[in-house]
Amino acid sequence: MAARRARLRRLLTALGGGLLLVVVAIAAWVAYLDGVVKREFEGRRWSVPARVYAEPLELYAGAAITPDDLEQELERLHYRAGDPAAGPGLYRRRGGSFELHARRVRFVDELRPAMRVVVRAGASGIAGIATPASVEVPLFRLDPLVIGNISPVHGEDRLVLAPDEVPPLLRAALKAVEDKRFDAHHGIDPHALLRALWANLRARRIAQGGSTITQQLVKNFFLTEEQTLSRKLTEAVMALRLEARFGKEEILVAYVNEVYLGQQGERAIHGFGLGSEFYFGKPLAELDVGELALLIGLVKGPSYYEPRKHPERARARRDVVLGQLAEAGLITPAAARAAAAGPLRLAAPGGAYVPAFLDLVRRHLKRDYAEADLAAAGLGVYTTLDPRAQAAAERALTRQLRRLDAGQPAGRGALLQGAVVVAEPHGGGVLAVVGGRDLGFDGFNRALDARRPIGSLVKPAVYLAALASGRYHAASLIEDAPLELRLGDGSTWAPQNYTHETYGTVPLVRALAESMNLATVRLGLDVGVPRVVDTLVQLGVERRPAANPSVLLGAVELAPLEVVAVYASLANGGFKARLRAVRAVLDDAGKPLRSFPVQVEPAAAPAAVYALDRMLTQVIARGTGRGAAARLPAGFVAPAKTGTSSDTRDSWFAGFTGSHLAVAWVGYDDNRVTGLTGAGGAMPVWAEVMAALRAAPWEPPPPDGVEQRWIDYQTGAESDAACASSAVALALPPATILPPARAGCGTASAPAAGIAELVKSWLKNVLR
Amino acid sequence: MAQERPSLSRLAAAALALLLGGCSLLGTPQTAPATARGTASAPVAEPLPAAQAATAAPPAGPEPRAPAAPVVHSWRLGAATQSLVTQARAQLANGEAVAASITLDRAVRIEPGNPLVWIELARQRLAAGEPRQAEGIARKALSLASGDPAARAEAQHALGEALRAQGRNGEARAAEAPAAP
Repeated sequence: MAARRARLRRLLTALGGGLLLVVVAIAAWVAYLDGVVKREFEGRRWSVPARVYAEPLELYAGAAITPDDLEQELERLHYRAGDPAAGPGLYRRRGGSFELHARRVRFVDELRPAMRVVVRAGASGIAGIATPASVEVPLFRLDPLVIGNISPVHGEDRLVLAPDEVPPLLRAALKAVEDKRFDAHHGIDPHALLRALWANLRARRIAQGGSTITQQLVKNFFLTEEQTLSRKLTEAVMALRLEARFGKEEILVAYVNEVYLGQQGERAIHGFGLGSEFYFGKPLAELDVGELALLIGLVKGPSYYEPRKHPERARARRDVVLGQLAEAGLITPAAARAAAAGPLRLAAPGGAYVPAFLDLVRRHLKRDYAEADLAAAGLGVYTTLDPRAQAAAERALTRQLRRLDAGQPAGRGALLQGAVVVAEPHGGGVLAVVGGRDLGFDGFNRALDARRPIGSLVKPAVYLAALASGRYHAASLIEDAPLELRLGDGSTWAPQNYTHETYGTVPLVRALAESMNLATVRLGLDVGVPRVVDTLVQLGVERRPAANPSVLLGAVELAPLEVVAVYASLANGGFKARLRAVRAVLDDAGKPLRSFPVQVEPAAAPAAVYALDRMLTQVIARGTGRGAAARLPAGFVAPAKTGTSSDTRDSWFAGFTGSHLAVAWVGYDDNRVTGLTGAGGAMPVWAEVMAALRAAPWEPPPPDGVEQRWIDYQTGAESDAACASSAVALALPPATILPPARAGCGTASAPAAGIAELVKSWLKNVLR
Repeated sequence: MAQERPSLSRLAAAALALLLGGCSLLGTPQTAPATARGTASAPVAEPLPAAQAATAAPPAGPEPRAPAAPVVHSWRLGAATQSLVTQARAQLANGEAVAASITLDRAVRIEPGNPLVWIELARQRLAAGEPRQAEGIARKALSLASGDPAARAEAQHALGEALRAQGRNGEARAAEAPAAP
């Protein structure tokens, strides 16, 4: 008896000890999970990749923006036509007058609250801007377009919303659809669990979750996707601890920012803020009931209901949610029916996807920022990208390449490629980058990395060196005649003109405009090849080319962006402006961390550069670029240059107006012959870009040390403005002595032609 | 405080230009009244008669219009850039040099060819303790101001200060010397 009792006691003790152990273990586990919840949730820094913005469009009286331009821009930013009194994101157009309710926007230099303005525009541009109370506004910016983000490896992207940015309807609707007893439960909802268990038993599979919003948040936050019992238990305990430690408000806002709503390649779309932007292109606050219902519906299965891939499923799901909202009394049944009758109205995916420009931005930032900060610290990167210039450059390149394809021999396998860079030469801002004909391809960026011989694009440096030497001016005469040169290695170099003709004695302006090789080589040899190389380096070539005579004809390999640097110094009156793609980087609170201000330094004598630029206007007026005129507005004046590398492997064109510099390249990736000169391939691309940009005319004030003179284009003799067909206005050093003007505008057949031209000119003026 | 006086005089000059020149769209150099042309201090040589240049515009083809004759200009800021310059000055007075630089960056974008914008930028760089940057920018302003004696004097002054801040006093004196006729 006693033995039996003793055994029982031992057993009970053992059991008790075991039970105690288990309780202690469970307590330790719960405490551990509690610690995890506290630590992770309290110190939660949302992982927010750097967001990259384009330059906002500046509206001001005189800006060359027509009413249609403005409306297009508003559409690009997903403003909707409607009563602007109803809220931000709406505008009403009456003819050229726009009433606009602009959104609250973070700019590089200010956080502007939502505000209403009236913009008046006409065919010649913006006439004026005022508040609704008729107070003039000198300057007004539209929202900066988001052009991308710098994603980390795992690709988690979000736009974090503050509690006051979460619309009340979204809060109520999430509870109605996902967790009816959210306000009452302590993290888990036994009713919902039992109901789900019952439903799952009947269906003999997992058909219902029964998870509360808190549990879903825990799952997204801390746990993996696996569906095991232990994970379910962990989830439940953590949900209870989360509720015990934090308020409902914090949990709901965290959920709104955390929830997974879709995928774009590597990029995972998290949170309703980004979800709204990703699917509808506008802020969450501007969504209507139908749009909000679609987003809420996506929580259940973002890939199954992906609205762009499965619009029917998405629509059905949206309508279910609308029904639930009506059932919960959040909207009227009539409103639910009306919303269910509407289409999905999705924004085009990644409407402003500009991989080549982002590539430049990334390289720019890598010098200053660690990859991890760019990927997660919520930085705002404000760039110089001009969406209009980018769109113009993309359109021009794809259209012209498609046209040029037709002229290429069949069965080549590879397609012609190209690149375009547009910049604002004075401030050094890069406005547009197109890295190839496949616009969405984030691969080989020809604008930055395709280093190719620049051919005659080098010639302005030769002529600039000549002008700067003081021994030549724009009307100086040089010989375009054959020459042979014995090189250092004993070989002989006998360059030829592209036309295989020679032109005899010509003024500098004509030799440059018609891109004469023989005259240029003679000039360059006289000035000295090292001096030409010096000039190239001063203008912006970073890797100094060897001083071989072949440099004079463009045996220098540069990428389009490097050509931009060189020509920017010409466009900038002899000053080198540091090229930049980023204006400033702000931290997640909007404080400037780093700015990249305009930096200019003298690169070449302003007078010589101005004289050169005036010569370069003759390329389009009379020289190798004549064909561009047909694609450009009448009277378009732009210094420019064609470039063709040996055997037409590379076709180049570079030129600028008062506001824009553009460089275009066309060729094959494998360096095959294209049969295209600079004028045949790259020039039409360039001209189409420039024509679309409404660029300001090129008319800088002449600097000190030059004087305007009329020169006979053929002979370099003094001429007269009346000789419109043969005279060119050039910039010469003051009091330059020129061969005297000959009677009849200086050219042999000129008298008749000159008078005819004058009559035509007179007629045109009368008829205008 | 040292910034204050030239700013005021520049404002006065701008106001005067406004009164004299009437109004043109921003960015367009104001052509001064004919009497101002060819005065002794005009830094440019023999101008071409503007009327002749205009009628000589060729009727067809790619012939460029003869560029505007180099006459004396009187630059002024457009309303948009003026508002930015005012804002930048306030920021600078408030010790926010970076913000002022960002504000003036906008002005450069709107009127890149206007020397007054660059003069303002040169002053900001000086105030920010970046005299080398100020020097490059002032030289750019000077090259744009060749036809405008008032703007030219401002640019020369900014350049002189930038050089002096680098201890290059001799060059500063030369830079501030009146233009040779």
